[in-house]
Amino acid sequence: MAAFQSGELEGREREQVIRHIEQCAACRAELELFQRTLQSADALKPEFDKVMASIDWDEMSEKIVASAWDKRKRPRTLPEREKFWLFSPKLKPVVAGLLLGILVGAVAAWFVFRGRTSENGGVASLFASKEFLDRVDLEIARRETLDYLEKSQAVLLEFAQSSAADGKFRLNEAVAAKARELLSKKKFLNLQLEKAQMAKAKDICDQIELLFYELAAVSEGLTEAERQEIQNLIEDRSLLLKIRLLKKELQKSEV
Amino acid sequence: MDRIKETTHDDLWILLEKAKDGDRDAFKTVVRLYQQKVFQMAYSFLRNREDALDIVQETFMRLYQKFDTVDTEGNFQVWLLQIAKNLSIDYYRKHYSRRREMEVEKSVDELDPASGAAASPGLNSDLRQAFSRCLDKLGERQRLVFVMKHYNGLHYKEIAEILDISIGTVKSLHFKAVQNMKKLLSPQLGMQP
Repeated sequence: MAAFQSGELEGREREQVIRHIEQCAACRAELELFQRTLQSADALKPEFDKVMASIDWDEMSEKIVASAWDKRKRPRTLPEREKFWLFSPKLKPVVAGLLLGILVGAVAAWFVFRGRTSENGGVASLFASKEFLDRVDLEIARRETLDYLEKSQAVLLEFAQSSAADGKFRLNEAVAAKARELLSKKKFLNLQLEKAQMAKAKDICDQIELLFYELAAVSEGLTEAERQEIQNLIEDRSLLLKIRLLKKELQKSEV
Repeated sequence: MDRIKETTHDDLWILLEKAKDGDRDAFKTVVRLYQQKVFQMAYSFLRNREDALDIVQETFMRLYQKFDTVDTEGNFQVWLLQIAKNLSIDYYRKHYSRRREMEVEKSVDELDPASGAAASPGLNSDLRQAFSRCLDKLGERQRLVFVMKHYNGLHYKEIAEILDISIGTVKSLHFKAVQNMKKLLSPQLGMQP
């Protein structure tokens, strides 16, 4: 009905509606109401025409063009902005997304690593387990002890094979130097043996150390009696035998 | 506005191309061709002369800024009226909604129904006021379709393109708009609602 009244129907459609209206009183009445409603819409048309007539359209068009050209003359800020393309409005969502991604990644990484650290009990355990470090300590102690025993054995054998000349026993200077060197090494070895909990090895090394103290104290010259006393000490304690056995044991227990 | 009909599609695109390249006269010709159409659209929707003129100015400023986005194959008038329609709706929502609501609440019933039944209703000032207020009572889309059809002289097809809806929807909205206007104006027109 509205389409018919507004002239939107053409040809066959329009003819059909006209034929129907001629025969149908109800639709005719409805159409009349539509016509009166749309005619009332014309009540506003004089007002529209009056307003349209009140406008100087040439002046209006000039004003619009002048305004557009005025904006055109002004230095545009866009090229300046293009230099900082990363901060251009188009890329703002991308930049925001990137920053958000970095932030989320950082937070996630912090949670993951913090969790692992607390599980393993410290930053150091990030790189090696406690068990591994214990084994390293044990191996170092074993090698150092073996070295100490080798050198001590050599010194003791040299001492055992030495003999007195012109009634006065003279300790070979090289043996005395080695004994002093081994004494200082023993101080360092003590820490490692304690750390590696090698009590048996420490006990033997202590005995050797005591002997070296004796040797160092009498380095200027020994009487035969003194030499014999030290020799007895070595034999009584079966130091050379203990050294050999300990060496064997340590060589077997190589990590 | 007859000049629009005289201007062919090709002539128009030549004008737009020239305007885009900085030809002031070409841009002015485009403005002169379409400014009244745009004004009619804005005024019939807002019914305020100054506001409608602002919409006209803003519409052509948008055209000037968006020359690159004009579809050379499409209907330029539809494209331009779409901008005017959007600006009018935004303006209405921002400045009019509440004010018009208050006016409409006291409106139609306060007018003298008898005066509307006079012999020349189209010329009656009360009827004009009543019609104006009834128009404001229509929903946004019904009002747009009604004013485009009756005051802008657009066809259903053009209205459908401007509003980006189907022709069937335009027909339906138009029918509902007229039905509602008929109901609202029934006292003034001396009809049964």
